[in-house]
Amino acid sequence: MLKGEVEMNVSSLVVLVVIGIFFALAVWRVAKKGAPCECGGSRKACSRKGGCSCCDCCED
Amino acid sequence: MSKSIKIALAGNPNSGKTTLFNALTGSEQYVGNWPGVTVEKKDGILSGHKDVVIQDLPGIYSLSPYSIEEKVSRRFLVEEGPDAILNIVDGTNIERNLYFSTQLAELGLPMVMAVNMMDVVKKNGDKIDFEKIAKALRCEVVGISALKNEGGMEAAEKVVEMAKKAVVEKGPGKLPDVPHVFSGSVEHAIAHIEESIQGKVPLRSIRWYAIKVFERDREIIKKLEIGVGEMKHIEEHIRDCEKELGDDAESIITSQRYDFIKRLMDKSLALNEKRKDKATLSDKIDKFVTHRIFALPIFILSLCVMWFLAVAEHGPGTVLTDWANDGFLADGWHLPFTTHECRAEGKYKGMEFEDAQGEFAKQDASKSAWEEAYLEKINEGKSDDDKVEEMPEEIDEKVAATIVAKGVFVEDEETGEPIAKEDNEDEPDLWDVDFAAYKEASEWEEPDPSQFGVWVPGLGALITDALDKAGVSDTVKSLVVDGAWGGVATVLGFVPVIFIVFIFLAFLEDCGYMARVAFIMDRLLRRFGLSGKSFIPMLIGKGCGVPAVMAARAIENERARRMTVILATFVPCGAKTVIIAMFAALFFREQWYVAALMDVIGIAIIILGGIALKKTRFFAGEASSFVLELPAYHMPTVSGVWHHTWNRLKGYVLKAGLIIFPACVVLWFVMHFDWSLNLLADEEIEKSILHDLGSWIAWMFEPLGFGSWQGAAASVSAEIAKEQATATLGLVAANMDGATTGSHIQALFASVSDFPKLAALSFMVFNLFVPPCMVAIAVTFREMGSQKWGWFAVGFQLFVGYVLALSVYRIGVLVAGGGFGIWTALAFALDAFCLWAIFRPGKKVEC
Repeated sequence: MLKGEVEMNVSSLVVLVVIGIFFALAVWRVAKKGAPCECGGSRKACSRKGGCSCCDCCED
Repeated sequence: MSKSIKIALAGNPNSGKTTLFNALTGSEQYVGNWPGVTVEKKDGILSGHKDVVIQDLPGIYSLSPYSIEEKVSRRFLVEEGPDAILNIVDGTNIERNLYFSTQLAELGLPMVMAVNMMDVVKKNGDKIDFEKIAKALRCEVVGISALKNEGGMEAAEKVVEMAKKAVVEKGPGKLPDVPHVFSGSVEHAIAHIEESIQGKVPLRSIRWYAIKVFERDREIIKKLEIGVGEMKHIEEHIRDCEKELGDDAESIITSQRYDFIKRLMDKSLALNEKRKDKATLSDKIDKFVTHRIFALPIFILSLCVMWFLAVAEHGPGTVLTDWANDGFLADGWHLPFTTHECRAEGKYKGMEFEDAQGEFAKQDASKSAWEEAYLEKINEGKSDDDKVEEMPEEIDEKVAATIVAKGVFVEDEETGEPIAKEDNEDEPDLWDVDFAAYKEASEWEEPDPSQFGVWVPGLGALITDALDKAGVSDTVKSLVVDGAWGGVATVLGFVPVIFIVFIFLAFLEDCGYMARVAFIMDRLLRRFGLSGKSFIPMLIGKGCGVPAVMAARAIENERARRMTVILATFVPCGAKTVIIAMFAALFFREQWYVAALMDVIGIAIIILGGIALKKTRFFAGEASSFVLELPAYHMPTVSGVWHHTWNRLKGYVLKAGLIIFPACVVLWFVMHFDWSLNLLADEEIEKSILHDLGSWIAWMFEPLGFGSWQGAAASVSAEIAKEQATATLGLVAANMDGATTGSHIQALFASVSDFPKLAALSFMVFNLFVPPCMVAIAVTFREMGSQKWGWFAVGFQLFVGYVLALSVYRIGVLVAGGGFGIWTALAFALDAFCLWAIFRPGKKVEC
């Protein structure tokens, strides 16, 4: 199915851009707030201060 | 900008501080009814009061500097100094809680005592005289019920009012009115100490400091820099008291505090006469649930019930997961109660949808088999370049008439779904397909589901349709459907299983059973020189490994704390539950207990690993004491259980979007491009970057039974987040032609091992018990305090996971009649080493 050069048309480019935006947003969100964990908090706070929302405040 | 007012929320462990904190601030901090949930201070703005910060402190029993929690609370209360204290006490255990309250009162800060669980107190028929307690402790006393959100805000507003008044009226330099709870000679000594340290400490908390000096608190004495001569004078006073009262200074303070509290309780607490000496319902349940013999089987039974509901065939978890995976997130689903036999004219008339699908699969298999035979025939004697690869539009009827192919169709044993012949040739169903049968088979079109009932298209189908309609190229469509959506959908498909596990755990936590589990485990662990305190982080770890590692902070003994950090993540967390769910669904549908077994293995590793570690000089020592107050059993509220479940589930769903989605996009690229960045055809996947990367390390997994590049890629990608292992397998399977993702994952294991179930079990065990995800590893390194200990933890976890997977596969293969090899010998040797490490005599080291 896939072979050789990537076929491109306007619709494909739009979809690629949308995927790219979602990708960038996800990476940006994780870089800014950290990965979510199953306790509902953010892990950025863990690495910064020593805990996620179940054991430390990530709201302050 | 005006200065904010800081209110410290302080109290004993498990008195309801975090519940009250959440109610006051609108936060969603994790609440557990066992001690040690909060290990660091948390801040939140009081609802409706932008200038008031509520600070939730870890639950402690005293202001002694022993555990990390006590140090955190003490440092904040004494050094940073909040403007006021909201002391939350458990009304059902008020006598014990007041020990800490008397110490808080000595700090000289405005204080409101919120007597929690008043609903239970009232229900029990007990009466507490707030006025008498308020007078004795020189504070305000308010009755509340944090769980029912009653009275908490009133208490908070009262303490805010007091804090504001104190700032205006008193200031920090005025001698406060604090309770005097000790006997004459002790008070006399304390007064002398107060004189000696005047000017060195804030006047408002001078009494607290003086009492600490009396107790010979080294940290305080060092901080106050009391001169040798002065200290000698103070020591004389302390020794006089000790001589008079026949005890050491610290014990005198403790016992006189309790005497004071007892006197206070005699006049302010009236217990219901009818209830006295009568066993409560909780006592009666505990007789059975914490029974020496029945306790552990009951705990294991509860785990079994949870996993039965989550993964047993025809159970709610499996039914909903099948619907999510095959219907809602994939092609679509029939609305319940709307299905019927096909009424449309044609080949499927009168058939049920499943029968129609089966018939089509069989006809399709006939068609493929005949086409394959035809192409083989017309390509006979041709060079590779001249060979025809696709069926020509016009068939040579003379050649066709000579061909009788063998139709092959196999139904998957586990799922009943059709499997293409290349995936399973063990016992294929063979039949002859001649040219006439081929022509007949070619006329069959895929059944239209809308002819068999009300068909709701799934998200996967909607996305594919939308992309088709938009004319998106095959490459981009593959990126979206197989890559991004495929990976995310694989993970989201297990939300029903995760939901059932989380809701079950939330129920057990909220009704008070989990606190009993800690008690039961303490009794068990203590026999092996371990403490139940180490089990609390492991209970938390059922949700997520990160807070589990963090919760080890509550353990004051450094050796025990390090050991707990190493062992805490062996309990399968929420993300690992997805791996269990996928393999239970694909390989162990009828053996649902395999899922429960993973939890039991996790607990067994914790116990056995703990025993082995304790016998080394690095971890030897007595088990630390474990104080645990068992809350009364109560029916959890729907909102409470939902709150717990949703908080965890939300993290899981968010992770699918924020971690799994970008990871799958990257994986799709490395799976569809070679090193020169040429786009590859599906059948050229063996030239891909991912194939090469996986192949380079696949040898490491060879002894474990899944030494393929796919297995290696899935195992390594699991370090991003554990559920990524399932997403990667889904992604790899999406690239294969044929039936379903599930059957291709089954085929994947069948292609690398003669014992695919054992290989799958080995994969599952390996990914569950090797080091956790990257974030948990990072937290482990930090909590261990050094690179050396961090690497030791990771090395130990890797060793355990690898040895376990090796033993499961190699010994399993031996038992299944697969023969004895060098890896079997290594598995036995490593198991013998582990047994030696567990049963050898331990080191006796002074702690």
